[in-house]
Amino acid sequence: MFVKPSRRRRVAAAAALGLLLAGCAKNAPQDTFDPAGSNARSIDDLQRPVFYVAGVVGIIVFAVVGYAIWKFKDRGQDIPEQSHGNPKLEIALTILPAIILAAICVPTVSQVFSLDKKDNNCVINVTGQQWWWEYDYAKGSECGGVVIPESIVTSAELVIPANTDVLLRITSRDVIHSFWIPRLNGKRDAVPGRLHTLRLQADQPGLYTGQCTEFCGLSHARMRQAAIALNTADFQTWVTNQTEAYTAPEAGTAAAVGQSTFIAQCSRCHQVNGLQDGDGKPVLAEPDLYVLSGAAPNLTNLLTRTAFAGWTFDLLTDECRDTLWNAPPDEFGALYLKGVTAECFNEANLREWIRNAPAMKPMYTDPKNLGSTGGKTRGMPALGLTEAQIDEIIAYLLERK
Amino acid sequence: MALIASPTPTQSLGVFRRPVAATGWRSWVFTVDHKKIGIMYGVVAMFFFLVGGCEALLIRLQLAAPDNTVLSAGLYNEMFTMHATTMVFLFVMPMAAAFANYFLPLQVGARDVAFPRLNALSFWLFLFGGVFLNTSWFLGGAADGGWFMYSPNSSRLFSPSHGIDFWVLGLQIIGIASLVSSINLIVTVLNMRAPGMKLMNMPVFTWMVLVVQFLLLFALPVITVALFLLSFQRNFGAAFFDVDKGADPLLWQHLFWIFGHPEVYIIILPSFGIISEVLPTFARKPLFGYKFVVFSGAAIGFVGWGVWAHHMFASGLGPVSVAVFSVATMLIAIPTGVKICNWTLTLWGGKLWFSTAMMFAIGVIVLFTIGGLSGVTHAVAPADTQQTDTYHIVGHFHYVIVGGAVMGLFAGFYYWWPKVFGKLLNERLGKWNFWLMFFGVNLTFAPMHILGMQGQPRRMVVWPEKLTGEGFFNLQFWNQIATVGSFLIASGVFMFLVNVVVTAKKAEKAPLDPWDARTLEWMTASPPKEHNFDTIPTVHSLDEFFHRKYEEVDTDKGPRLVKVRSAEEVLAAEEAKADAHIHLPSPSYWPIVLAFGLPVIAYGVIYNLLLSVVGAAILLLGIFGWVLEPSVAEDSDYDPPTGESETKELSSVG
Repeated sequence: MFVKPSRRRRVAAAAALGLLLAGCAKNAPQDTFDPAGSNARSIDDLQRPVFYVAGVVGIIVFAVVGYAIWKFKDRGQDIPEQSHGNPKLEIALTILPAIILAAICVPTVSQVFSLDKKDNNCVINVTGQQWWWEYDYAKGSECGGVVIPESIVTSAELVIPANTDVLLRITSRDVIHSFWIPRLNGKRDAVPGRLHTLRLQADQPGLYTGQCTEFCGLSHARMRQAAIALNTADFQTWVTNQTEAYTAPEAGTAAAVGQSTFIAQCSRCHQVNGLQDGDGKPVLAEPDLYVLSGAAPNLTNLLTRTAFAGWTFDLLTDECRDTLWNAPPDEFGALYLKGVTAECFNEANLREWIRNAPAMKPMYTDPKNLGSTGGKTRGMPALGLTEAQIDEIIAYLLERK
Repeated sequence: MALIASPTPTQSLGVFRRPVAATGWRSWVFTVDHKKIGIMYGVVAMFFFLVGGCEALLIRLQLAAPDNTVLSAGLYNEMFTMHATTMVFLFVMPMAAAFANYFLPLQVGARDVAFPRLNALSFWLFLFGGVFLNTSWFLGGAADGGWFMYSPNSSRLFSPSHGIDFWVLGLQIIGIASLVSSINLIVTVLNMRAPGMKLMNMPVFTWMVLVVQFLLLFALPVITVALFLLSFQRNFGAAFFDVDKGADPLLWQHLFWIFGHPEVYIIILPSFGIISEVLPTFARKPLFGYKFVVFSGAAIGFVGWGVWAHHMFASGLGPVSVAVFSVATMLIAIPTGVKICNWTLTLWGGKLWFSTAMMFAIGVIVLFTIGGLSGVTHAVAPADTQQTDTYHIVGHFHYVIVGGAVMGLFAGFYYWWPKVFGKLLNERLGKWNFWLMFFGVNLTFAPMHILGMQGQPRRMVVWPEKLTGEGFFNLQFWNQIATVGSFLIASGVFMFLVNVVVTAKKAEKAPLDPWDARTLEWMTASPPKEHNFDTIPTVHSLDEFFHRKYEEVDTDKGPRLVKVRSAEEVLAAEEAKADAHIHLPSPSYWPIVLAFGLPVIAYGVIYNLLLSVVGAAILLLGIFGWVLEPSVAEDSDYDPPTGESETKELSSVG
């Protein structure tokens, strides 16, 4: 009678394990038992046996407890002998777990060191801030045979060449964050004033989601990220696209009007590389004057990404997003490189964001509450733009790809 | 009536007197009796348990559906911060203190703790600290940095409300309570044991409480320092964790977890002690491997100091530190495993009586085993970088804390209720209480292992629909199951409260020795007289009370253990030798006064330093009153019964 619930649970757990092994269900995209790269796989190879051993030990303990409960319940037997134990048994039961743990210990230590290797040529600087990630591809870095010709600064999606070891150098501009793409590797904290490294490698082209996992304040839940793995040719295409010169909108179009609206309303924080004002002077963003972290996402190629604002809100319609997420590896790259096309553009999200960002994502932008930061916001404030201005800005941003 | 000969004056300045009320609210507010203080600890901790439980239910409601809007992001952050803080500092620790206060002196055969007034001070500091901490809800919002309060997110720059100030100062006050209490209980155990009670004859509960007090004694100063650094940073512009000024935020993490990991054992060991009393009683045989259990408890206490950085495997400590702490963490699994084995072997060959207390104790073995084994999976550092800060960890430590510590405390409630209140809790309601909680714990926390491994991080006000997945492991289903489970736990707790009311209303008294118990606290009346024991018992063995009741008798089938004396007979024999003169500490006005000064100082630090001066004046008044009051009240000594069952409580002075 007494053991039933734990038995039931065990049956459920066994069924769960069976399903997991069969792999018949389409699990959540951040399934840690579904590695897609060498680092995550070496972790998975380590954790699975530990789970199995723990499961077996658990079942043995429950079986013994269950048996003892059934066997020794009070059926009117005599008061048992008042024995205080059995030292030989005790010592055996101390040594046995020690041996099991020693067996787990050896591969653990060796993996700790092997996951910490830093030997590679593809270096990407990753910087966390409330509540988004910035990626800075070091100039001259060689990623899967592609040399980065000049620094690329982007956000939301970390684009990497597939089947290539990438080394992330991670830090933070404000509080502690943690970078995590579960199917590619474990977590690494982004700590201000410190530089930590994390290896990433994806076997195949595809999209791998992740989230910030160190509590980082108000919108911690809305600080997400993804790694995009592309094959070498596609990665080369992406790099070329990211580094090509700025093309101003054609005069007279809505986008051209949008460019001046963007310069007036957005460019004090958001950089668009190559953007020039009416006098031909480069427009340089100065987010350090307005934002506490001192940074705002670079929008040069916004529409090559599929989500924005800490990878929280889709730039793609749900349908197009699902198509991309489920694309087979050999089709994924081409689909991704199309960027946000007109028919896939999720305008509602971007429009609402430009209209009133803090209503979509809680941030510290209300001037009344900015005393402790000397008036600097944490996140994007509501700018009080007219619908016409929003139209213009969207028209301009649609060409940023 | 005679006064005891005392080197200190019994009258001081003629102004201060010791309070003497034996009934009414004064008998509680000014009491120094460890039993009354224990009961007050229990009542207040239970209140905070309900507060923390409501916070947990709100969290689970918020997470029951994707992108849910029960709580705002800000309120959610306050909620999980205060849920953890309340459950750890205002429920589990003080509830363990309630048991320790009440039963430790009884188990070692003492008439009170070593420093009765300090004991009262501890309680009032805890109460005022807890209330102070929770007033933040009404004064601009509670702390929102998580109970780990990582720097620099905890600085004024990033958390401008006063919530974290309340948190820091409230924990400081509660910390003083625990520190004072730890010294008090250590001295009590080391100096006030009954004659014949060697350390290795002490009940395991007393042993575990002793280990916990040493952990507190060394761990609390670390968090005290960390809290001081943080409060000076927030309130007076210091820069201990300010990266711009060259500080390293990891300093806070090390300080916090050097306290925080021993804290885990501070939380769990008292319950290990409780079930180590309950299991032998209801198995009718001694704890299997008493020495192994005691030494493994002490070993956990030692090794517990060397594992703190396993909370920081993703922090970027470098591979050498990670490897060392990974191995140390596996090491601590060994003594923990020893305990599980010993409890199981205590059942083996016994004559098991499945009372509610016993069911909770067996529940602890089962649930703690699950929590312990999932803990081993985190010790594997590379695997932990996947698991840390996900719901997998939340599932793990709730199995340990709810399945281990809280279920253990409930075992204690059912086991010792007749001792404290003289009435048995209703067993039928108790079984409902147990099964609802047992199912509830499994339904709430087992799915969290799945959620975490499916990539749902902790401390997230929302989880998005697009990351839900399909099929058996989808986040939606398991989040809903967890929420249903949390309400089952709540209904289990509700059954307990109903049980308390039902029991309080019934007239039937509990028998003197309802469980055929084994240890000294049962060798006195229920509830115990104010002086605990008419005569201090002389101890000959572990399980002294049992061996006074049972003796081996030769029968035709060989030697058998037979009950040769009833509990009443054992007690009558003790009463016959009653001490001629019993000295009990007198109540005092000053612990509550002294304690009241601290929250006033704390409000002052937040709002206006002038208020702190007022608080300091109250504190000083308390100290002076404490020092200058007479050592005993007039006529307060207890006179032993002269005849039949005449018992005389404190008499009043003129």
